[in-house]
Amino acid sequence: MKPGNPYLPEPGPDCVVSARSLVKHYKNNDRPALNDFTLDVQQGEFFGLLGPNGAGKTTAISILTGLFPADSGSVRIRGMSFQEKEHEIKRILGLVPQDIGLYDTLTARENLNFFGKLCGISGRKLGERIQQGLEFARLTEHARHPVATFSTGMKRRLNLAVGLLNEPQLLVLDEPCVGIDAQSRHLIHEQLKEINRQGTTILYTTHYIEEAQELCSRIGIIDNGRLVEQGSPVALLQQSGRGNLEELFLHLTGKELRDT
Amino acid sequence: MLKIFAATAKELLLLRRDRTGLLVLFLMPAILVVLITLVQENVMELTGQKKTQVLFLDLDQGDLGKSLQKQLATTTLDLVLWDEGQKDIADIQAAVTGGGYQVGVVIPKGASARFTEETARLFQQGNGKGKPREMTATSVQLFVDPGIMAGLRSGVTAQLQMALTTIGLEAKLAQLGGVLAQTMARAGAEPEQSPLAGEKLPALFRQPLLDLQEHQGDSGAIGASQYKPVQQNVPAWALFGMFFTAIPIAGSILQERNSGIWIRLTALPVSPLVLFTGKAVAYMGVCLCQFLLIALIGAFLFPSLGLPPFTVSMHPMAILLTVVLSSLAACGYGIFLGLACNSYEQASTLGSTSVVAAAAIGGVMVPVYAMPQVMQRLSVISPLNWGLTAFQDLLLRGYSLSAILDDLGRLLLFFAVTVLLSWKLAGIRK
Repeated sequence: MKPGNPYLPEPGPDCVVSARSLVKHYKNNDRPALNDFTLDVQQGEFFGLLGPNGAGKTTAISILTGLFPADSGSVRIRGMSFQEKEHEIKRILGLVPQDIGLYDTLTARENLNFFGKLCGISGRKLGERIQQGLEFARLTEHARHPVATFSTGMKRRLNLAVGLLNEPQLLVLDEPCVGIDAQSRHLIHEQLKEINRQGTTILYTTHYIEEAQELCSRIGIIDNGRLVEQGSPVALLQQSGRGNLEELFLHLTGKELRDT
Repeated sequence: MLKIFAATAKELLLLRRDRTGLLVLFLMPAILVVLITLVQENVMELTGQKKTQVLFLDLDQGDLGKSLQKQLATTTLDLVLWDEGQKDIADIQAAVTGGGYQVGVVIPKGASARFTEETARLFQQGNGKGKPREMTATSVQLFVDPGIMAGLRSGVTAQLQMALTTIGLEAKLAQLGGVLAQTMARAGAEPEQSPLAGEKLPALFRQPLLDLQEHQGDSGAIGASQYKPVQQNVPAWALFGMFFTAIPIAGSILQERNSGIWIRLTALPVSPLVLFTGKAVAYMGVCLCQFLLIALIGAFLFPSLGLPPFTVSMHPMAILLTVVLSSLAACGYGIFLGLACNSYEQASTLGSTSVVAAAAIGGVMVPVYAMPQVMQRLSVISPLNWGLTAFQDLLLRGYSLSAILDDLGRLLLFFAVTVLLSWKLAGIRK
């Protein structure tokens, strides 16, 4: 792996996510999915990664959570690299994938039980976490029902609860509110704010601008695999002189359709 | 260890919830083993290893027909006697051509008289000088179904020919005895002093001077009463069923890969090897149950279908080890398929085709010794062949564990290689 950009400052002790000059190419695609992508997320931040379709959000999230490596650049989570301390990083990491990561024929409780055990939790502690997860997802009454019988909103809530089983220091969510009703979205938003208030650092990808504005303490706008702007929603608006984030977003990313 | 238990328990839960899939996994080999064994029972008849029904119409009603019936009574031909007053040659032809019977034998009218007359003329050629006289053979007519297998045709023909030759020789010797007695009388000796006089000749003739002693390989473990197709088919089709579990294993991996589950699992502090082990242990349990079910069918259902029972009296631990290692090989292949393919359609097509091909070249459907040389050489690459050879060594040849270690080693190596390849692929599939 090539060394990162030497002119970038070293991440501080509160830096939870530190990505330097990430580059990623996919086969059969000349355009890089990530191109000199650099990002720091500090302890306790609710960081929103905002970008149009195909901007590189999911690729960035995947590299930052160790799902696959970048072609070049470096990633450190709480100062640790995936090459050296993959298991240690995974113990403090919670990932909520964009696609529902649950077994349809298992019940809500069985899903929580299985993923909890894979996180290394057992005994009474596991029982408590499962109960907390069911309450968090408002699925206590549906604990013994197969996931296949759930609505999309219920699945999304359970998907999130599973990601929280190991009480992660860093919670990474990839578009967790896609395709759900306003009630479930509102519940998820409130719960995420609460988790963040309790000290969990959150990295959140979305292409809903109002969602990012409502939730995030800091936003990064990604386009063509590069972070083109970042800052708090208020600061971004002040610096750009735009009336709202959508105007700024369209100004930075353009108005042409992104069908790739 | 907790994670392996969790992965195994999850797989077993998923299997329990998929009752249709589970039913297919057990029903498919169970139905196949019953059907194929019953079909092969019939094939054994067709190839002459069991009694074959032969229509027998004696239009002559003389000694020749009676002698032939007597000779054939000790063969594998089961004569169905037709009444000459009600049936004729056309009926026999119609019955054989129509497929109702495969073979028909007709003793033509006047055959016994012609045979006796010709036998009497056998030594009427003077003092033995000059050419031997031309004999006119009395024909017995044989009708054979054109669709008959070559093995059955030659088997039936050989037995009929042997019976006719025996009758002919007995007649010739009897005639010779008579001629010898006459010659001795002319020379002034008492005919009773002839060694071929009276009833001695046929009795002497029937005593064998040469015989064929058959042995069951070098073990002698299987008695003649045990019927090999059952001992072969039960493990063969159990193996086939076991290797078919590769498809649901691949399906379960593809379901995980094509949803967010795989991403979630990859982000958890757990090695893919732990997840593979969970799958292998759970499906190994399925394979063991499959074998047990098929063995029970062989032991208890087969006798009620008129087949001999399947027996596992020898080396039960070696048989269990063979089942376990065959199951692991099947699981390894399923895991590999799940990671090598991109969709369930791909995995099910490739999986079923490859398992059927491996079964075919491995000797599950047709014994390896009955295949062409090229296929026999190819059969050694089939994991089903390794498993089947081990089972045959244990169940048919009566060998012990030490004799099948090489086949067991191959199965274990196949499992290890497929799992390692899958681990590598899991890294790539990230």
